[in-house]
Amino acid sequence: MKAAVHSQAMHFQARAGVQVANKGLQKALEKAKPLFVGKRAKGIAGLAEDGLGFEELRSTCEAIRRRVVDDLDVWLEIFEERARASGAEVLWARDGDEIRRHVIDIARRHGVTKAVKSKSMLSEEARLNEALSAAGIRPVETDLGEYIIQLAGEAPSHIIAPAVHKTIGEVEALFAKEHGRPAGTRTSADIPAMAREARAVLRQHFLSAEMGISGANFLIAESGSAALVTNEGNGRMVTTLPRVHVVITGIEKIVPTLEDFATLMRLLPRSATGQSISNYVSLLTGTRGANETEGPEKTVFILVDNGRAALAGSDFSDMLRCIRCGACMNHCPVYFSLGGHAYGWVYPGPMGSVLTPLYTGIENALDLPHASTGCNQCGSVCPVNIPLPALMHRLREIQDERGLRPRHERFALRAWGWLAARPGLYRLLTRRAARYLRWLADDSGRIRVLGLAPGWSDGRDLPAPPGQTFHELYAARKRA
Amino acid sequence: MSAREEILQRVRAGLGKGDAAARRAAAEACMSNPARGPQPQLAGDRVARFAGKALSLASSAERVGCAMEVPAAVARYLAEHCLPSQAVATGDVADLDWIGAGIEVATRVAVDADQTGISGCFCAIAETGTLLLLSGPQTPASVSLLPETHIAVVPVGRIVATMEDAFALLRAEHGGLPRAVNFISGPSRTGDIEQTIVLGAHGPCRVHLILCGESS
Ligand code: SF4
Repeated sequence: MKAAVHSQAMHFQARAGVQVANKGLQKALEKAKPLFVGKRAKGIAGLAEDGLGFEELRSTCEAIRRRVVDDLDVWLEIFEERARASGAEVLWARDGDEIRRHVIDIARRHGVTKAVKSKSMLSEEARLNEALSAAGIRPVETDLGEYIIQLAGEAPSHIIAPAVHKTIGEVEALFAKEHGRPAGTRTSADIPAMAREARAVLRQHFLSAEMGISGANFLIAESGSAALVTNEGNGRMVTTLPRVHVVITGIEKIVPTLEDFATLMRLLPRSATGQSISNYVSLLTGTRGANETEGPEKTVFILVDNGRAALAGSDFSDMLRCIRCGACMNHCPVYFSLGGHAYGWVYPGPMGSVLTPLYTGIENALDLPHASTGCNQCGSVCPVNIPLPALMHRLREIQDERGLRPRHERFALRAWGWLAARPGLYRLLTRRAARYLRWLADDSGRIRVLGLAPGWSDGRDLPAPPGQTFHELYAARKRA
Repeated sequence: MSAREEILQRVRAGLGKGDAAARRAAAEACMSNPARGPQPQLAGDRVARFAGKALSLASSAERVGCAMEVPAAVARYLAEHCLPSQAVATGDVADLDWIGAGIEVATRVAVDADQTGISGCFCAIAETGTLLLLSGPQTPASVSLLPETHIAVVPVGRIVATMEDAFALLRAEHGGLPRAVNFISGPSRTGDIEQTIVLGAHGPCRVHLILCGESS
C-alpha cells in the first residue's frame, strides 16, 4: 500500500531508544501526562452531577458508531446525496495520492496561492503540505500546535496536542525565527504573549488565504454536514473567511443524526481534554447563501479510503468506530515513555499501534502491536469501547500466522511450548530461574541489570520475583 | 472503475450483506425518527445553570430586565473595559436603541479592525453554558469571531436544556440547517504551549453575555 512509503514504523525500536534518551521530550511528557489523565477523570466525573453514567453513555456512543460501520456503504451514499443537495461537491479518494491530486486540482481551478489549514490527520496521511508547496501553493497550519510543528518541520506527536513534545524554549526559538525578531528567554509566564504573537501572524494568513482546508470530527448523514470541534477558533476561521473550503475526511466518520452527534459530543471533549464541551463546535452545510457576503462559495468534501474500506466486516472493524479523541494515548504507559514520534507514522499510541499496521501494511509495522503492556488502560477509557489490546493481540497472531516474526522468537516460543508440555522439567527450570532472578535483585527488591539481557534494563528495572515459583508458593500455602 | 465505485465495492465486499434496499430503508427510518441518547437531569433553574456554566468557561454575564436595557448595559461594559463605543453587530440586535446609549453600531460582516462584535443568538444551552448562532445574511458568523470582544444578547426564554433541545427548536423553526451552525462556549483558548491554557487564541478573548427578559 502506498501509505507505507513514508512510514517509519519499522524503525520503532531504534526510534524508541532515541526518544527515551531525549531529556527535553521526557520532561515535556512528564509534565503532560498527569494533566491529560486528571482532566479527563474530572470531566468524566462531572457526568454524574447531571445523572449521566459513563458506561451507559459509552455503550450508546458505541451503538451509534456501530450502526454506521455495519452499513457503511448505505450511510456513505446517504451522506453524499445530502451533501450534494446542500450545494457541496463530493469527491472520493482511494489513497493519499488521490487526496493530493484532488486538492491541488481544486486549488488550481480557483486560483489559490495560499491555503489555511485546520487540523486534519488525513492531510498528514497524504503528506499534503509537501505536495501543496511543490505545486506553488503555500500551506499554513493554524492550529497553534500544528503551526509550531510546521515551523519545526516535524510531524505531530499527538492527535489532539500535536506539539506536546515541544518545550517552551523550543517554541520561542521557532517563533523568533519565523516572526523575524530576536529570540528571548521565555518562561511559562510569557505563554500568553507568545499566543498573542501567533494570533497576530496567523490572523493575516486567515484574511489573505483563498482556500481553507479542514478535517471533520464527524459527517452528519441527515444534513450532509461536516462537524468541526475546536478550542482555538481556527476551525471557524478556516471555514468562514476563504472563498473555498475543502473538507478531507475518512469514509468512516459518519454519524446518522443530529441527536447522535449530540450524544457523542458528551463524550468526545471529555475524553480528549476533560472539557464538558469544546469552545467551538460548528456544523457546516453547503455553501454561502444567495444573500450572504461571507462564507465559502465552494465547498468540497473529499471522502478518503486509504485502508479504511478493507476494515469493513474484518476482524478489525471495531477500529472504524474510533472518534480520534486521544484518550487511549493519554492513558498509555508506552506512549508516555516514548512520545508520539517513535510510532513512526501519523497515529501514535494504542490506536496508532492498531491503525498503522492496518493502513500501511502489517509487514511494515511489526513492532507496533507489541508496543503494549496489555494493561488495557486504553480500552477502559475509549469512549466507543474499542478493545484495543485484543486488536493488537490479533495483529500479533496474524504476524505469527504469516511467518513475519523473527526466527529466534519463533524458535523460543516453540521451545517454550515444548517445555510447558513437560511438567517435571518445567518446574525444575522455573525454580532455577526464580532463584536466579531473586539473586540478581538489589536490596530494594529491584533488578537493575538483567543478567542475560542487560540491554533490556537500560531504560527500566524489573521488580524481582519472590524467589519461589508459583507452584512452590501454592503448595506451601496449601500445607499451611 | 471510479474511486467512488471502487471504495463502495470494497466496503460492500467486506460487509458481505445483501439487500441494500432494506438496509437503506432502515437507515432512512433511523433518520426520520431520530432517537435521543441518555439525557442529563439538570438540577435547579435553567437560567442559573446556563449562567453558572458560562462563568466557569471564562465568559462574563450580566442580567438585565428587558431587551430595551441592553444598549446601556453594553455601554457600561465597553467603558469598564476601556473599549471604544463602536461595534459591529448582527442584524438580529440592530434594532435596539444603540444611538441612545451612545454606541455607534455598524451592521455588516466583521473586519479585522473591529474591536467589539455584538450578536444575538438563536438559542442557548443550559447544560454546557453554550450559545447557538446561525449564519445568515443578517447574522454573519464573523461578528462573533474576528473581534477581540464578543457581546451576546441572550433572551432567557431562549435558553433550552440540552443540545438535543436546541436541535428540536432548529428543526421546528428552520427545517434544515443554515450554512454554519456555531456553538460557542466561552472565549477561544489554546493549551498548545506546554499545556498552559491561554484565552484568545484566534477568536475572541472576551465573551460577555447579557441575559434579558423573562423565563418562558
Ligand atoms: S481508539 Fe478510542 S480512545 Fe483511542 S482515539 Fe479512538 S476513540 Fe479515542
